[in-house]
Amino acid sequence: MKINISLSLKLTLIVVSISAIVVFSLSFLYLDSQDTYFFDDYVERGVALTKSLNAGIDAGIDLEDNETIQKYIENINNTYPEILMMSINLLDEGNNLKVFVSTDNQSIGENASFVNKVALDHYFNNTYVDASVVTDEDAPKITVITLVNVSGQIIGTYTMLFSMEKTYANLNTQRNFLFLISAMSLFALVFSFLYLLRRIIVKPITTLRDGTILIGKGDLDVKIDINSNDELGDLASSFNQMTSDLKTSRSKIQRYSKTLENLVKQKDEFIGQLGHDLKNPLQPLVGLLPIIEEQEKDPKLKEHLHLIVHNVEYMRDLIFETLELARLRSSNIKFNIEPTNLKSEIDKILERQSLYLKENGMDVDNRISDGFFVETDKLRLAELINNFISNAVKYTQKGSGKIIIDAKKEKEFVTISIQDNGIGMTKEQQNRIFDEFYMADESRRRVDSSGLGLAICKRIVEKHGGKIWVKSDGKEKGSTFYFTLRVSDMKKGGVQNG
Amino acid sequence: MVKKILIVDDEPGVTHTIKYGLESLDPDYKVECVNSGQKCFELLEKNQFPDLIILDIMMPEMNGWEIQQKLQGKIEWKKIPILFLTATEDQTSKIIGDISSQGYIEKPCKIPELKKRIDQILS
Repeated sequence: MKINISLSLKLTLIVVSISAIVVFSLSFLYLDSQDTYFFDDYVERGVALTKSLNAGIDAGIDLEDNETIQKYIENINNTYPEILMMSINLLDEGNNLKVFVSTDNQSIGENASFVNKVALDHYFNNTYVDASVVTDEDAPKITVITLVNVSGQIIGTYTMLFSMEKTYANLNTQRNFLFLISAMSLFALVFSFLYLLRRIIVKPITTLRDGTILIGKGDLDVKIDINSNDELGDLASSFNQMTSDLKTSRSKIQRYSKTLENLVKQKDEFIGQLGHDLKNPLQPLVGLLPIIEEQEKDPKLKEHLHLIVHNVEYMRDLIFETLELARLRSSNIKFNIEPTNLKSEIDKILERQSLYLKENGMDVDNRISDGFFVETDKLRLAELINNFISNAVKYTQKGSGKIIIDAKKEKEFVTISIQDNGIGMTKEQQNRIFDEFYMADESRRRVDSSGLGLAICKRIVEKHGGKIWVKSDGKEKGSTFYFTLRVSDMKKGGVQNG
Repeated sequence: MVKKILIVDDEPGVTHTIKYGLESLDPDYKVECVNSGQKCFELLEKNQFPDLIILDIMMPEMNGWEIQQKLQGKIEWKKIPILFLTATEDQTSKIIGDISSQGYIEKPCKIPELKKRIDQILS
């Protein structure tokens, strides 16, 4: 099953994806820079505090006086509620860094970070040593380590632990705000895009589609009204041009078809008249000549008369068959199609032909099994069968002829086959045998046949909605003619013919 | 037994042929030819009734259908069997099938075949 995704939906999806990627990348970059900014901010605060601590020590705070120092840092701790912990670490005789005083009493006397002087010397002349953020979602913290600088001499470090909670809370608010703004602008973007899309692309396309549908239904007065100066506008004007061209062509075709209709009517009338006018003058020839021939005593004259009679009959057949073919082609011919019992109908046809068959020594075997009912015009069926039989007679050595008629049902059609043991035909002949005036054997053109019989058969079968073809294994191998007729409703056929 | 046949056809060639053909095949046939509907009724008015009428269809002034219709109008005429002789096409022949039980024979016809049909109808 084909899922129809509208053009606007597809384009919207693309726009949403692109905007989302852009907006979120920008937000991420912005927030990342904010993180760096806050980091630096804390370091600056630590450094500022260090400067005032160092100044205090320089001004005379006694580092030996544990109690005073302790108080001093606890005082700082209380003044700056952001500072969670603060300690002063000093180098001992072995140049090891030990926690000297701390708001966290337990850590006093333990090793501090940056354990020796070598490490500290590395940062000489700088007040700032290190800062590291503990990224705990609930309580983010930053440790800032600075140098204890007394009269230009590094003697230890300060460790300050800041809580970043407040800042992060601010940051989160900002972040949420940013997301909200992004989402809102995204929505606004998508909706305005959709609006533009509908106006600029989808609506013209739908208009064109509706126009096409109307044209398909035959309404050529459709005019597409798209006044944009772009490809769609061009398309619309080409479309309108096409419609007006179509309209011109259609009226031309209508005119021609009217003329053609009249011509066909005239032709049909002409053929009817021609038939009448050709047959009347033939009557004396067909009627009288055989009798005169019969009565003639002079053998020489009798022979001439025989030839004339033969030719008159040929001419008669030719006229009849030409008219028949013309009539089969005319549009107003009606077939009297009815359900017909194939076997018994063909038996009747053969019965009517029995004298002719006997005279020509032709043996016919109707092998069609009972119970086939087909849709056919009985007179036309007789015409078909008679044509095949007379062909078989013509092209088979007299006295040894045999025709086998059979039928096979295939879906809604019955294929009827008429097989003879005559002279057969080549592939080339099989292809052309149903053409008008084609004769497999050119030498027979003289008197025997008009060359229209099979063309007539073809028309008859096609008028029935069937197909006709021939098969032969080649010269002297006999031929089998096939034609199909539609199977009739068995019940209906059974009642009428059974 | 004499068989009186009346042929109505505007073509003298046709009427002559059939007259000559039938009479030479069987001396019992007495064939009368007329070349129009008017002539046909002139004969009938004189109470000369044939055993069978061979009737052409396409004729000027009065065509075969009209003659057949007029023949249905009188009891004595109505009894005479009609064999249509036609050169026209199957549409016509279907109508003949509907109005006449004797049917039709197609032009140009072979005389022995025509004779066989007439004998069948008259027997």
